Amino acid sequence: MKIPFSLFLVGRLLSVRFQSRYDRMRLLRSALLISLVMIPLVLALIFMDGMMDGITEKYITLQDGHIQIEFPERLDERIHFSDSSILSADYVVSGFGIVYSREATAEVRIKGIGEDYFNERRSSQLSFQGSALQKEGAVASVMLSTTVASQLGVQIGDRVAFMIVPDSSSAVVRPVLANVKALYDSGYHELDSSLIFMDIESALRYFPKEKNARTEILVHEGTLSDLASVVTQIESANGTGTLSYATWDEFNGTVYRNFVTSRQVILLVFLMILLVAGVYVGSIAQEMIQDSLQSIALYKTMGATTLSLFLAFLTAVMTVTLLGMTVGVGIGLGIGSQLAVVLSWLAKTGLPGLQYYLLDFPVVISWRPILTICATMLVICSVTVQFSLHRIRKISPLELLQQD
Amino acid sequence: MTDTLLQFRTVTKRFISGDSSLIILEGIDFGLEEGSSVAITGKSGCGKSTFLNIAGALDRPSEGSVLFKGKDLGGMGDRELSRFRNRHVGFVFQSHILLEDFSALENVCVPAMIRGAMRKEVTARATELLDRVGLAQRLHHKPGKLSGGERQRVAICRALMNSPDLIIADEPTGSLDEDSSDAIENLLFDLVKEEGRTLLMVTHDMELASRCSTVYLLHNRSLQGIS
Repeated sequence: MKIPFSLFLVGRLLSVRFQSRYDRMRLLRSALLISLVMIPLVLALIFMDGMMDGITEKYITLQDGHIQIEFPERLDERIHFSDSSILSADYVVSGFGIVYSREATAEVRIKGIGEDYFNERRSSQLSFQGSALQKEGAVASVMLSTTVASQLGVQIGDRVAFMIVPDSSSAVVRPVLANVKALYDSGYHELDSSLIFMDIESALRYFPKEKNARTEILVHEGTLSDLASVVTQIESANGTGTLSYATWDEFNGTVYRNFVTSRQVILLVFLMILLVAGVYVGSIAQEMIQDSLQSIALYKTMGATTLSLFLAFLTAVMTVTLLGMTVGVGIGLGIGSQLAVVLSWLAKTGLPGLQYYLLDFPVVISWRPILTICATMLVICSVTVQFSLHRIRKISPLELLQQD
Repeated sequence: MTDTLLQFRTVTKRFISGDSSLIILEGIDFGLEEGSSVAITGKSGCGKSTFLNIAGALDRPSEGSVLFKGKDLGGMGDRELSRFRNRHVGFVFQSHILLEDFSALENVCVPAMIRGAMRKEVTARATELLDRVGLAQRLHHKPGKLSGGERQRVAICRALMNSPDLIIADEPTGSLDEDSSDAIENLLFDLVKEEGRTLLMVTHDMELASRCSTVYLLHNRSLQGIS
């Protein structure tokens, strides 16, 4: 059997059996460092993606939907759900107000919703206490978040007063009474602190439908990239002509842009970390060359080409990198899949800083960014290692092997 | 009639350091016949090793040309020169440098591994060579467990492994005691003769040099025939 020299040398460079304790420790140290770099990167990626997806999902399902069609009349009853792209259509009214209890006030966004608004998808995004929102007599029914309820010091069954903020300066500002019928908790403080729900009949009294009513559409995942076509379908099915609409990333533009910016910054930080790791791997290669100067000189004397030596050392270092990376990603994914337990524990600690994070989201492992990080790591390492290995070319057998 | 294996044509070697230039070899014409053994002697620093480096394609002349079997080595690229060294030249150094992590057998195998020979064939040939130099019981010993003489025997076997045309030896007994030196000398000359190789040796030792068919003195940058 023929074994290429480069491959033979790679085997020797990597084989534990043939190496000194120092060499073994060096390889182990290198693999360990790469693993230790990859574990937090993978974890951070899972956390970042999971949290951003989770927050986006909460804003979409509870506050805005995927599409908001601005049309004063009810469109929801005319939309056919046989069209598989639409998950739900709900007629809603929304406006802004200040809510008062005996002890405190809170500025909120009030959303008037129908009884069947909380479908399965929306219900999965929050936990309820209390009963469904129904108008009872002249008093409106509201569902506060536990965050707002706690801020106001109220519970289910208590009454609160609203000061509705009108759309125009000519409108009269008036106080409104409401019964707290239910409490919800979405798990995301930022959303909970500003959103409350009211029965739609009452809400329509305070927020004129001409300006405040819209139909909120949720679509299935596959349609997300082509929301315009959903609107076109609705227009043609209802004969309403051109409808004015906005999509989730438009009416939550700031949140969306913040996410994109955060993601870019985090990826930049990842890149810096990978660069540092790459430089370290390059220095390991340099150390290997330094310790093998005489061997390399000897190989060259015996006829080994610079290329074959270069390839052997490159393969050896990259194999260690790949091994460390695989172990790191494996451990990162292992811990990542148990992230819910960690987050749940974190949520229970009640640390004030954590209230701005979403600590209850489904852990979804996105392979694409993980593979991108791995590929980037390999590219960076191969470049830094190649720089280090250029020294092989300069090693002269004359200086190292002979005494005159 | 013997053929010329290696030929120097007015070879000059100079080393340039900053503004100064140091000429080590100047206008050397030299021919090495196939199957012969040639010794180059001279004082330390006279350029003997430089001469060997150029002969073994480890270095290039500043002027002139070196021909191996009529082919100019100066026209070869690094890759071709590596191939040339692997197939046609075997080196034996004074400090019997071996790969410390490799066993004696593996050290001898390396030139053939570089050549891309079949593993089975390589092991058989290396075992046979080590057996011939009396190291059959030391095949799997690392260099650290071998004496200076044993290490040099391994180095000689390594030099012969690819059956090269030319064996270049740089002070092959320079770092050995007298008994080991005698044994290594005998071994080197016997093996070179048995294998029908050509020997080009550099040494201070006139007694060792006298065992070669031709002896040259390297003096004042040029070669002078002694015998």
